[in-house]
Amino acid sequence: MKVDANNFVSVAQIAVNDPDLQEAVSLGTYNGYSKRLVAMFSNGHEHGEAMRQQAAAMRRRAIQKLPDLLELAEKNMTANGIKVLWAETAEDVRNMVLDIAKKRNAKLVAKSKSMISEEVALNHAFEENGIEVVETDLGEYIIQLNKETPSHIVMPVMHRTKREIRDLFMRELNMPFTDDAAEMTAFIRKHLRQVFVNADIGISGGNFIIAESGSLCLVTNEGNGRMVTAMPKVHIGIVGIEKVIETIEDYATLTQILPRSATGQQMTVYMQMINGPRREDEPDGPDEVYVILVDNGRSKVYATKYAEALTCIRCGACLNACPVYQVTGGHAYGWVYSGPIGAVITPALTGLENATPLPQASSLCGKCKQVCPVDIDIPRMLLDLRHELVEKGMTDKIFDVGLKAWSIGNRSPKLFIMGGAVARFGTRFLPNRLPGPLGGWTKYRDFPQFAPKPFRELWKERKKGKPS
Amino acid sequence: MTSARDRILGKLRAAQKPFDELPPAPPKRYMSRPEDLSAEGLRARFVQEVKKLSCIPIEHADAESAIEYILGVIGEDSSVITWDFEQIPLTGLETALNDRGIQRGQPRDDKVRVGITGAVAAFASTGSLMMTSGAGKPRIASLLPPVHIAVIHGNQILPDFDTWIEQKRAEGIGSFNRPANNFLITGSSRTSDIAMESVLGVHGPGEVHVVILV
Ligand code: SF4
Repeated sequence: MKVDANNFVSVAQIAVNDPDLQEAVSLGTYNGYSKRLVAMFSNGHEHGEAMRQQAAAMRRRAIQKLPDLLELAEKNMTANGIKVLWAETAEDVRNMVLDIAKKRNAKLVAKSKSMISEEVALNHAFEENGIEVVETDLGEYIIQLNKETPSHIVMPVMHRTKREIRDLFMRELNMPFTDDAAEMTAFIRKHLRQVFVNADIGISGGNFIIAESGSLCLVTNEGNGRMVTAMPKVHIGIVGIEKVIETIEDYATLTQILPRSATGQQMTVYMQMINGPRREDEPDGPDEVYVILVDNGRSKVYATKYAEALTCIRCGACLNACPVYQVTGGHAYGWVYSGPIGAVITPALTGLENATPLPQASSLCGKCKQVCPVDIDIPRMLLDLRHELVEKGMTDKIFDVGLKAWSIGNRSPKLFIMGGAVARFGTRFLPNRLPGPLGGWTKYRDFPQFAPKPFRELWKERKKGKPS
Repeated sequence: MTSARDRILGKLRAAQKPFDELPPAPPKRYMSRPEDLSAEGLRARFVQEVKKLSCIPIEHADAESAIEYILGVIGEDSSVITWDFEQIPLTGLETALNDRGIQRGQPRDDKVRVGITGAVAAFASTGSLMMTSGAGKPRIASLLPPVHIAVIHGNQILPDFDTWIEQKRAEGIGSFNRPANNFLITGSSRTSDIAMESVLGVHGPGEVHVVILV
């Protein structure tokens, strides 16, 4: 995926003025934020905090031992029958996957959700080579159908309303009219069934790799993750080198904290530990399993003060909690990873010069660190990145967005410290400005008020046929 | 010429190790470990959690009534996808299906509505089923048909995933990674990708029955 983070301000301006996007993103972030709170602290606040610290310490130890754990993981995966490949760049990944596809004479590839495959622009490579690739996560499928990119690392299509998705299905797939999300889902289920049955290759990402057992862990709710790793003859898992953890017990810890932070569930529906290809006595499963370990800039980040970002478990909680993300959605961040963690990862992985506005795209309210299940100090890293911008003389581009507007943000301390989940109420009483340094954009634009009635109420009325 | 692998590992090893002063690991915490660890306590908690997941737990004291229940779910269907019967802890199931003329469908047949499996364990804290791939246990049986019936024995219910891992550790790591695939099932296939509305049965089964023999 092309990095387009330097256009943050103009894309954000469009987002702020798009009422559909505002409706969808405020609903989505509010939902994620509140469900997480309930799930994390169901056993009391102190307990939830202790879990976070346990997970944080474990991820830090794993990153500290990264090279050793990678070697151990490679050894154990290989012993399990997994073919392990190492990719230094995005191009390496594309070539490796295409090589396998050509060797197997593949015509159809089924994919489950994987941010890293977006990072390395894999779908494009397939299409160029005449191989059909189908995203099978419902959200990702919608994204592919609408020829756009995901705007959230857990809920890829958070920026679209139900009406927009319904219209898309009707336009592209001749779906009969319905306002019911369950009917829409059932329609797509039928549509994708044959893809699973006929796919030559299944491609997944990987949430973690357990080094001591050589297992690739995959966490999905819809079941497509199990489908693409069970039905096709070949399974390829594409995983960043930072995803390795040491023990099975560590995985158990993560199974407690990742679903709670991401979707507010106690457990994600399907949590797989993939140990290799089908064993001789097993009735189903792939004949070949590959794991591609991807560097693509991570080893460079490892040596910097941004190494902490490598402990991220991609739960999306910091996106939902961020007052900036809540009004801009994810596309403004200009790359695969959006929100607070994206504002660190994108400059760290792709170069600060390609993402100069991102370190400023934060009010530094601290919510991102507070909600992070592995306690990543994102505000500290954003400040370090801002220092770097100054040191490298890259500040002119951001001056207007950032520093000048900073004073405006500071005049509205409420918005500034508020986890904007409550912004819905706040905007009615506050000036039409975005929080923090982003106040710069709304100098010439009015910031739309959130709908006075929440979406659910409007929707209920709509269903009953009342005018909204 | 060095390989990509050696260059990546070389760069990581050349770097100053991050987090050089890590505090010692805090003691292990469990999010929702059940308080009552008696067999009845675990079963009660498991049933409660399974209900919370919008799945259907059914406790049966004898095999006949369990089989009756399963036949009720199958209804008029002429075929089901099942594990091999010796892998399902319910004697008499095979005969009952045969008597009704219900065939075992092809595992990849996506027209079959009901899949019947066992499980290697179940977890009270989260209402999860622990599954491992193996001989006679097609993974597809708990995935492709829209209705999944899992049959377990009450004594398979453990407090949580961590307890199962302790057992595997005692048996040796080989018992963990011998199967090609270990997986937990917690609830039914679901999504909220469309406007945050919870919808069940996306790609996997939307209807899950857990038959517990006590
Ligand atoms: S930085 Fe923390 S909160 Fe944000 S996605 Fe990563 S793990 Fe989740």
